[in-house]
Parts: sequence; C-alpha cells; structure tokens
Amino acid sequence: MSTPSTVMPSDESLLTAVGAGDRAALRVLYERHAPWLTLRLARRCSDADAVDDALQDTFVAVWRSAGRYHGGGAVGAWLWGIAIRRLIDALRRRPRREFFSGERETLEPSAEEQVLLGVQHGDLGGALERLSPELRAVIQATILDGLTTREASTLLGIPAGTVKTRAMRARMLLRQELA
Amino acid sequence: MSTHVDPDLLCAYAAGEIDAAHAFSVEAHVVRCPTCQAAVAPLADPARLDRVLAAVEDELDAPRVGAIERVLRGLGVRADLARLLAATPSLSLSWLSSVALALSFSVLAAHHGDGGMLLFLCLAALLPMAGVAVSFARALDPTFEIAVAAPFSSVRLLLLRATAALATTIAMAGLAAVALPGIGWSAVAWAVPSLALTLASLALATYVAPLTAFAIVTAAWLATVLVNATASDDVLAIFGRPAQLVLVALGAGAALVLARRIDRLDVRGDL
Repeated sequence: MSTPSTVMPSDESLLTAVGAGDRAALRVLYERHAPWLTLRLARRCSDADAVDDALQDTFVAVWRSAGRYHGGGAVGAWLWGIAIRRLIDALRRRPRREFFSGERETLEPSAEEQVLLGVQHGDLGGALERLSPELRAVIQATILDGLTTREASTLLGIPAGTVKTRAMRARMLLRQELA
Repeated sequence: MSTHVDPDLLCAYAAGEIDAAHAFSVEAHVVRCPTCQAAVAPLADPARLDRVLAAVEDELDAPRVGAIERVLRGLGVRADLARLLAATPSLSLSWLSSVALALSFSVLAAHHGDGGMLLFLCLAALLPMAGVAVSFARALDPTFEIAVAAPFSSVRLLLLRATAALATTIAMAGLAAVALPGIGWSAVAWAVPSLALTLASLALATYVAPLTAFAIVTAAWLATVLVNATASDDVLAIFGRPAQLVLVALGAGAALVLARRIDRLDVRGDL
C-alpha cells in the first residue's frame, strides 16, 4: 500500500492552514479523516442522524478552533477527542434511546456465566469477548475512548453510578481471567 | 506501529462484523495511522460523507446569529421575523447601550435634587419616542431595502419594530427608575408622558415626514418642560396629576388620529 502522507501535506500543516482560514485545507482534512471517524462513531451509537450531526459539529469545531491544536499527539487522536464529545452533545439534544440494544441482555448469558463457561485461561481478546455487551461498552468508553464517568454516562444512556459499578465489575472480571 | 491492519479485518470492522477485542485494536491503530485511514476511506458511504461535508460548509457560510436575534428566537419569535426585528436600528446593541448610558447619568443627576429629577423624567419620557423615531430612519437601517421588498406590509413591520423599540426602552427606563432616590410616584411619572409623546409623534407623522414629526414633538415637549420649570414654583409640576390627565387626553386623541390615518404613515422614511 502506498503512503500518501509522504507526498501530501501533513495533518499538522493542514490544521495550520485551516487555522488561517483555508477552506480547501478543511476539505482535504475532511476527506482524510471523516471516513474512519464516521465508522468509529457508528460503533458507539446506532442512531445514524446523531452520528452525522456529531461529524458535522466536529468539522465546524475544527474550523473554529484549529488554532487550539498545539501539536501534542496525533491529529487523529485530537479529532477523535472532539468527535466523541460532539456525539455526546448530539445525544444530549435528543431523547434517550437505547444503546447497544439492551434486549440482548436477556438472550445472552450474564458476564459471570460467560466467564464460568469459558474457564480456560485466555488472552485479553478472549477475556473481552466474554464480558457482557454492557460491561464491554463501559470499558470501551472509559478506557479506549478516555471519557470521564459523566461523559460515558451520557453516551451509554445510563446513570453515572452505573458506569462506575460496571467499570469496577469489568475490571475485576478481566483481572480474574488474566491472572 | 510497524504492521498495518489486514484489509479483510478493516472490511469486517467497517461492516460491524468484528468482535470487541479486534475492534479495539483496529481503532487504536487507525487513529494514528494515515495509511490505514486512507484504506478505510472507500469503506464509508460516500453519499453520506458528501452530505455531511455540504452541511459543514453551509454552517460555516451561514451568517452568525446575533445575541438579540437569539433572544427573540428563544422567546418563540419566528426566525424571519426575528431577523427583521433584530435589524431594527433601535434594537442594536449600540443604541441600547447609549440609552442605558443616558439613563444612568440622569439617575445620577436625580440624586442631586429636583433639577436632576426633572432631567431624568424628561429624558425617560423622550427616549421611547426616540427609539421609535430611530426605527423609522432609513439611513440607520441596514436592511431598509430588504424590509421594503419583504412580503410583509411595510406599515405592519414598522409598527412591530416601533412596538419592540417602545417595549425595550420603557423596560430600560423602568429598570433605571428603580435606582431613583426614594421610589414613589416619580418613578413612574414618565410613563404616561412617554406614551403620549410617542402617540402624538406618530399621529403627526401621518401629516408630515416622520422625522419632522419627531423633531416637532421633541421641541414642543422640551419647551413645555422648560417654561413650566422656570415659571412655576414646583419644577416637577409638569409631571403632576393635572398635567398627567392632560397628557392622557392628548395621547388618546393622538391614538384616535393614528388609527384613522394609519395608511397615510410615510413608511419610506427620510433622513
């Protein structure tokens, strides 16, 4: 696979141009990052309209605050940090909806059962797979996306206290399995 | 990271047919890998991405909604009406702040005796009419051409704007009156004169050009106040009960004239 980044302007220089009011640079940045941002946002939220709103707000925010990027870390990570928070805002504006279809809870065995069923020592991947979707969603929001308890609670549509207890339970289960 | 994500795995990720552990590692890699970001690009729905990009550009091109327009929309005013109202010169921040400044100085003066109180009452009675006058002034209206061409009766728009200007100015004068020394009759004594003056000027505007009408009424009012203050022992007699009754009668008469001759109102303005 070719590496387009060697012949094309870097994300950092594009952001500098966007900060200076270059609309074309914003478009290049969008073509580069919008696809993976949409896919990743769509994994966090089943409401396609909310995802589109979040993506739109993200690039409007990039246009207005490109100057606030100070080169600490990858531009992709910076963009994701904006996008996930814009998604949370988009969800806040809408009525509560279910996240990661709650009905699976009754169909699937509980996390504890899953752990008991798959007793053999597994890698992290297997351990994550055996967590219930609810616990996995909390792990994804708090660890992978780096959200605060409050932000995770809005994204997942559950109380902040539940985020905390689920995160604790998930960590405990993972620790047990990986021990 | 030396190795890139396997293309099949990327496809499975994009389709949502992937287990959590793999999804986590795909995401952790893609967020900082330009090559894999480019590889993901064809997997997203291009029509949808184009639509969102168009929405982004629309939002960036749209004029920023001003503070007053946001307040009006928040109060449930229709968006098009809010824009026309917010463009009223006498609702602009510069006008409102000058009204506030004038009122604060006259309140300060009112703390230094009857002369100051007379200044406050005289000013508070005049300002609402001035607000209405400014909404007539085409040279001050950035949307004059648009307002004339709007599918909206010009007289109706003018009266709407005048009402909005009147309401805000009266509200501001009322707020200022709270800061007067010893709240009593004097705190509201300007209200009847201000309404009477506004109505009188609008009634007169059905005969002569609006700004001429405002100038005549202002001059007449100032002359009356001054003559009264020098001739009478009580400088505030003009705001006393008998004078208020005369002003009520004047206002009612003006309202009658205005109602009968409203179609003669010269909405084109001058200046």
